[in-house]
Amino acid sequence: MNALKRFNGSGWLSFGLLLLLWEFGSRAAPKLQLYLPPPSQVLAALGRSAVSGPMVAHLSVTVGRFLDGYFLSAMIGVTLGIVLGYFRFLHNLFETLIEFLRPMPSVAIIPVAILMLGIGDSMIVAVTVYATVWPILINTIDGVRHIDDVLIQTGRTFRLPQWKILWRVILPAASPYIVTGLRIGLSIALILVTTAEMVAGSKGLGFFILDEERSMNSGNMYAGIFLVAVLGYTLNRLFLLVEAKAMKWRHGMMARQTA
Amino acid sequence: MRRRKFHGFLFLAGLMVIWEIVSQIELINPLIVPPLSKILKNFTEMVLSGQIPRQILLSMKRAAAGYFLAAAVFIPLGILMGLSQRFYRMLIVTIEMLRPVPPPVVIPVAMLFFGLEDEMKIFVIFFACAWPILLNTFDGVRNLDWVLLNTAKTFGLSRARTIWQIILPAASPQIMTGLRVSLPIMLILVVISEMVGSTDGIGYFILDSQRRFKVAQMYAGMLSLALLGYLLNQLFNLLHRRLLSWHWGMMRRVE
Repeated sequence: MNALKRFNGSGWLSFGLLLLLWEFGSRAAPKLQLYLPPPSQVLAALGRSAVSGPMVAHLSVTVGRFLDGYFLSAMIGVTLGIVLGYFRFLHNLFETLIEFLRPMPSVAIIPVAILMLGIGDSMIVAVTVYATVWPILINTIDGVRHIDDVLIQTGRTFRLPQWKILWRVILPAASPYIVTGLRIGLSIALILVTTAEMVAGSKGLGFFILDEERSMNSGNMYAGIFLVAVLGYTLNRLFLLVEAKAMKWRHGMMARQTA
Repeated sequence: MRRRKFHGFLFLAGLMVIWEIVSQIELINPLIVPPLSKILKNFTEMVLSGQIPRQILLSMKRAAAGYFLAAAVFIPLGILMGLSQRFYRMLIVTIEMLRPVPPPVVIPVAMLFFGLEDEMKIFVIFFACAWPILLNTFDGVRNLDWVLLNTAKTFGLSRARTIWQIILPAASPQIMTGLRVSLPIMLILVVISEMVGSTDGIGYFILDSQRRFKVAQMYAGMLSLALLGYLLNQLFNLLHRRLLSWHWGMMRRVE
């Protein structure tokens, strides 16, 4: 990531050469063009549908599902994680269940979700939540369990009520772990939304990309993939930005400790 | 420790009993959530008849091909990137451009090139496993203890031998991390690619069972996937301990 900050001449040059090779290779071989249209055509397709095509509508559907799924996962994962991390008894109860469910690839839940919820938005959001909750939950549990006991004891000494200990002591102390879980969850949520859209549904970028492939509109297909990649990149950047703001207090504290 | 596990198992068993009862007395629709006993019966039948093992074997062949291909290409590439700054700078822009692409959206591209053949799934798995393997290998080589390399130089080791005997072993814990992270990714991607474009394999089997409304069969397929995920993980841990036993031994001595 830091590599992109400092201008990397040879890196951009080789990337540009690759694009040129793609452009001219594809133009030279008309047969190849069906599968791999030159990047200029992909760009044109992107421009066309950005103005009038259905791509923007599909993008907004995907973003909406992603946001619903992601924030629901964050709420469930963090809440459940704090409860399971804090109350040892509950953790003992659920540990085996979690170990049992976790090795199953999360996408296998899609058929069940279709069965229960049909092929609408709620199915896609449910599948996304199921997959995205795991990293958030596990990291939050880890974070709560790694809290220095002195912190909690100090809170008790000051006679803070239980909810205040949770809110003012445990949540901030576990937040570095929680943030890690939330970051991993970000890419998982995007993967699950697009996957579910490909398997079932008639809207969203995942559906759009697969549909364009089936009708051999490879230019539109690549444009859709480009859009998903930009979406993923933007979400990641946005997350890092929010994280830097939200966790500023911590970096300050860490700096003071080491000083 | 054992007591803790015991509570967990008891809880799990309790949940399973509740599932059975709730479905039996039709508190939830047994057409959607059939009783557990029916699923287990279905599962054993299909394992014994060879139906599930055959699907899993098909899937695992594709998965293994993509996974090992990714390892064979991206471990050497990661080593080269770790050793040569120039090489790293040349590739990193392209890598950072490709990395945000969520692997499932590569499936349509692969279908365009390979149709519904095995190569399609292999390519998708190859693409998805590339990043964790490449970046972990790179990290491992980059963070190598330079004393090791200087020692190799002092003893006049050839470049090939330095890579084979010094760099590869020293970076192997990190390389293993990359391979471990890729393992569930491999499983997820083989299932997805079989759901989207295939006529066999365990991913197709599960989705197809749902479409034909053979619900118990669908759950049995999911159960076999969970078991498969668990077994793969255990197998990896076993190999990991075997292959890196020298490493752990060394670490202990250092302490």
